[in-house]
Amino acid sequence: MLPTTDRFKKGAKETLADPVIQMSMEAVYTGFHTNRQLAGTATEGWDEQRDRGRAIKEHTIANLDYYLEMLTDKIDANGGNVFFAEDSAAATEYILNLASARDVKTVIKSKSMVSEEMSLAHEMEAVGIEAVETDLGEYIIQLAGEAPYHIIAPAIHKSQDQVAEMFSEKTGTDPGQTPEELTTTARGMLRETFLRADMSVTGVNFAVAESGSIVLVTNEGNGRMCTSMPRVHVAVMGMEKIVPSMQDLGMMLRILIRSATGQRISSYVTMINGPRRDKEEDGPEEFHLVIVDNGRMKLLADPKLREALYCLRCGACLNACPVYRKVGGHSYGWVYPGPIGAVVSPVMSGLKQGKDLPFASSLCGACREVCPVRIDIPNMLLHLRQQVVEGPSEDRNIGRFERLGWKAWRFANMKSSRFHTGGKMANLLGRPFARKGMFRRLPPPLSGWTRSRDMPLPASSPFRDRFKKRRSGGGE
Amino acid sequence: MAITGRDTFLERVRGALGRFPGAPELDDATHIGLAVEDVRRLADDVRREMSESGDALLDAITESAAMAGWKVRRVASPEDAADVVAEICSETGATNVLRSDQDVFASIPVDAALSSKGITPRVATVGGAGDDIPTLKQAAFDADVGITGVDYAIAETGTVVLHPRKGLSRLVSLAPGRHIAILNWGDVLPSLDELFTLERADFNDGAIEGSMNLISGPSRTGDIAAKIVDGIHGPFEVHLVIVG
Repeated sequence: MLPTTDRFKKGAKETLADPVIQMSMEAVYTGFHTNRQLAGTATEGWDEQRDRGRAIKEHTIANLDYYLEMLTDKIDANGGNVFFAEDSAAATEYILNLASARDVKTVIKSKSMVSEEMSLAHEMEAVGIEAVETDLGEYIIQLAGEAPYHIIAPAIHKSQDQVAEMFSEKTGTDPGQTPEELTTTARGMLRETFLRADMSVTGVNFAVAESGSIVLVTNEGNGRMCTSMPRVHVAVMGMEKIVPSMQDLGMMLRILIRSATGQRISSYVTMINGPRRDKEEDGPEEFHLVIVDNGRMKLLADPKLREALYCLRCGACLNACPVYRKVGGHSYGWVYPGPIGAVVSPVMSGLKQGKDLPFASSLCGACREVCPVRIDIPNMLLHLRQQVVEGPSEDRNIGRFERLGWKAWRFANMKSSRFHTGGKMANLLGRPFARKGMFRRLPPPLSGWTRSRDMPLPASSPFRDRFKKRRSGGGE
Repeated sequence: MAITGRDTFLERVRGALGRFPGAPELDDATHIGLAVEDVRRLADDVRREMSESGDALLDAITESAAMAGWKVRRVASPEDAADVVAEICSETGATNVLRSDQDVFASIPVDAALSSKGITPRVATVGGAGDDIPTLKQAAFDADVGITGVDYAIAETGTVVLHPRKGLSRLVSLAPGRHIAILNWGDVLPSLDELFTLERADFNDGAIEGSMNLISGPSRTGDIAAKIVDGIHGPFEVHLVIVG
């Protein structure tokens, strides 16, 4: 999808004003968050495994060229094909050409964030190929024509009634269906597609360099359907998704799944080692792996941002983030919402476009706390903020007045006498405009503050004065 | 097969990292340095543990599989196992039963038990006397029940491990509404880590299959109003019959 990361403020405002979404989302995030905490506590050596997970990602990313070469040599030896794509357009072109060469009419898609970057389903529909999302959440947002709201729960913002209505429009079912009935309806609609499909596109949760394997994690079983039913299987991955050895997978699966949903393991974990073997009963005849850069090289090149590439896409930082929980997934304006999105989206889509995102954080550190591989997101947000404010003036997200204001603030606070007098002046000048010691509304540029909260009037007798008085025995 | 665009891509990666081509220094962070004979030795240790702790591991998976969402039945003999399988099929009103062509059906008389209930299972194979692939797919989608053996099970997570291959279609454990898996004594691994040790040893020996499925309960979704519902694409009900 095309980034609309420049409309963060507008999106956030709309979501904040929507009481239904505020109510329903809070319960969902709290559920995920609590499950994650329980799963962590119940796992022996949880923190040691997270440390190990981080160490493995650090090692792999630091030697990424070596492991990419090893991975692709092995896939080649396993009978698969590999395409390296510098950007979305190149990856899309490869897949569309392949589809056309194999006379593909219907494509089934399993959940893949990279293919969301590419808007692959759209691109396919545009050239007359039927492309159907098979993860139920993705299927729902495809029907709605929307972007994923959450990394692991893409349609979580849709109510039961909204889904029932969409299904009713599509198939003529009763618009009052329960989640159980809706699931059965979707099962029927999608099974018919599975039988018809010529080609599948899936994501990749882990790629194993030493064996040329890819690993898919799902609960629904659509990943298995996509790797069992069609003639051609195309897996799309960001270049960072590698682990060196199969031996790393046990621990990686543990920290990923338990951080994502709190399950001990998801219903299905599928490892694919190339196309179907000669004597196998079924499975795809062809396997293609598309390895995508699409802006990740910029993260790799900046030592301060490199660790964003350790991300396992578990979504834990979203559930923990007080800002994401309020502004919701669509405000971030691109495929990756939440704290990790606030780092990767501006870099991948261009800092100018996404300049508001690094500021969409209170830097409370909850994201770093819950991250299975301990990515220091707050630190990266600060780094990006610095790039924004020190960058070219037209790319900054603060106006001339705000900059001027901060200059004045700096001047006033450089000397204690100025600070002291300034406080008293503010009290005197502000008094006529304040009510019960609070400003309810301030003129621009300070109006941004008072739009959502009151601003206290500076005290007439500041703490310093009272402290001095009390020490000298004056009391109060 | 083909690799396209690799040289320029890797050049750019090296540029971004400021790195020269060559193998990295291996440290404790990675197992990749383990020599083939070390991996083989580790795998032997795992196999020894599977049999030495066979009883305890079977107890452990009885519990963890139930937690993962399997309906677990533990029986003493192969005949009992076959009877349980047949009971599940007849109690659920299954008429259309599909099974894999694994060794387990030689030791556990499932066909005989089913036939006493008036059910003749279809065997999911292609080529020779079997079907072609499209027919197999349709048969798997039409089946009420799919029956398979188990390559390994994992005590930590309540997982059944299957490697699709000749005789074991990818779809028997996936497409029918119910899946029954039969687990024998001695096939239970303590945790995911031991599974991947064995896989790694198999890979080194050139004996790895084209794919592997870890199955831990029914097909599940929580995508409509965060309500957990079983049976979105795969089985809505899964049975684990444990022999021993």
